[in-house]
Amino acid sequence: MANQVSKLNYVDAKLGAPTSGQQTTRYIYDSVLPGAGGTNITFFQNFAGKSQFQTNLTTNKLDSMESMVIKSIYIALAPGTAGTLDLSGHMNLNIYVGNQCVLKDFDPSFNATNRGVSFDRLHSGYNNAVRLEVRLLTDIVIPPQVNFKATLELAENTAVGDTSLTLGLKGYGKIFSAGMSF
Amino acid sequence: MAISAQDKMLYVANKLGLTSLKDMQGSTRVVYDQSTTAALDHVLFAGSGQRNFPLTNLGANGNQFQVDEALLVEQIGFFIPDADDGENYGGLGVLSVKFDLVIGNKTVIKDCVVEVGGQQAFYSDGTVGSAIITLEGVGILIPPQVEFYVRASVFNSTTRVASSSRVGCYLFGTAALLNFNTTI
Repeated sequence: MANQVSKLNYVDAKLGAPTSGQQTTRYIYDSVLPGAGGTNITFFQNFAGKSQFQTNLTTNKLDSMESMVIKSIYIALAPGTAGTLDLSGHMNLNIYVGNQCVLKDFDPSFNATNRGVSFDRLHSGYNNAVRLEVRLLTDIVIPPQVNFKATLELAENTAVGDTSLTLGLKGYGKIFSAGMSF
Repeated sequence: MAISAQDKMLYVANKLGLTSLKDMQGSTRVVYDQSTTAALDHVLFAGSGQRNFPLTNLGANGNQFQVDEALLVEQIGFFIPDADDGENYGGLGVLSVKFDLVIGNKTVIKDCVVEVGGQQAFYSDGTVGSAIITLEGVGILIPPQVEFYVRASVFNSTTRVASSSRVGCYLFGTAALLNFNTTI
């Protein structure tokens, strides 16, 4: 059975991308202020004007020598002033890599709060109404230089304008390594 | 050596003559449906094509996956919708759910029960009892374009008396998503 390391090497090799590079654990994230009444949010699309804590990317693709596996998904919510939205209601998360939908209509809310319906067998019990994490069963690769984005549809709307949602993707990855070249 | 989820998917797909499933996008998937009218007995997923999000996340295809999409069900969970709109939900509380999973014309899980708190040996969710069942073995494959549904009956876990309630169900596991490998 393939693990994250061999899956990433396999896909990179298939695409002709470099398989060398510094192995690492990669975490990429993006925060969005969807505005009052928003129910459809797109992550990894607009990066202008965001702080280093709102996103750690400047474009929606990894560098030419970088690639990663999506293994965990993290969602955090700041409901905003007097906002009532939380992560415990149904939601639809889609992740697209290139033109390909790699995670389809996924509902991470089952891992929010302690209700006994979480996916993880040894659930931490810490996931709550404003932060959750889902560990995927499969290794999904983001290759170098390929656009990606994520969309999140909420059952409830954001209610207030200063609601903030953050989506983080974590997994094994590779980053540029100069090696002996210079 | 144990068979993996991917191995089982490919084995069943091969048996069914689905030769292109191996080229599809691997993913993790959860599909859910809910019955928001309180009743003793429910049929979930059937007719889900007529319901919109957030009542279900199956979309227009309803209770069958499209060409070259499949789900290896590895975990089944039940929840109680808070209201008719289906936006929010809770765990089972004191209730348990007896259910059948039917794929095509075949009952693949028969008279099984998700007992509230029934999976505590390997499952912890704070102090809340589990409302899920992790399938033993590798799981059960729902192939493309085959209808599936769940028959569910709700009862009190301690008194063993039927209870009228709303109920929802999710099926979670390893999936294949349609991937066009050639230009169209």
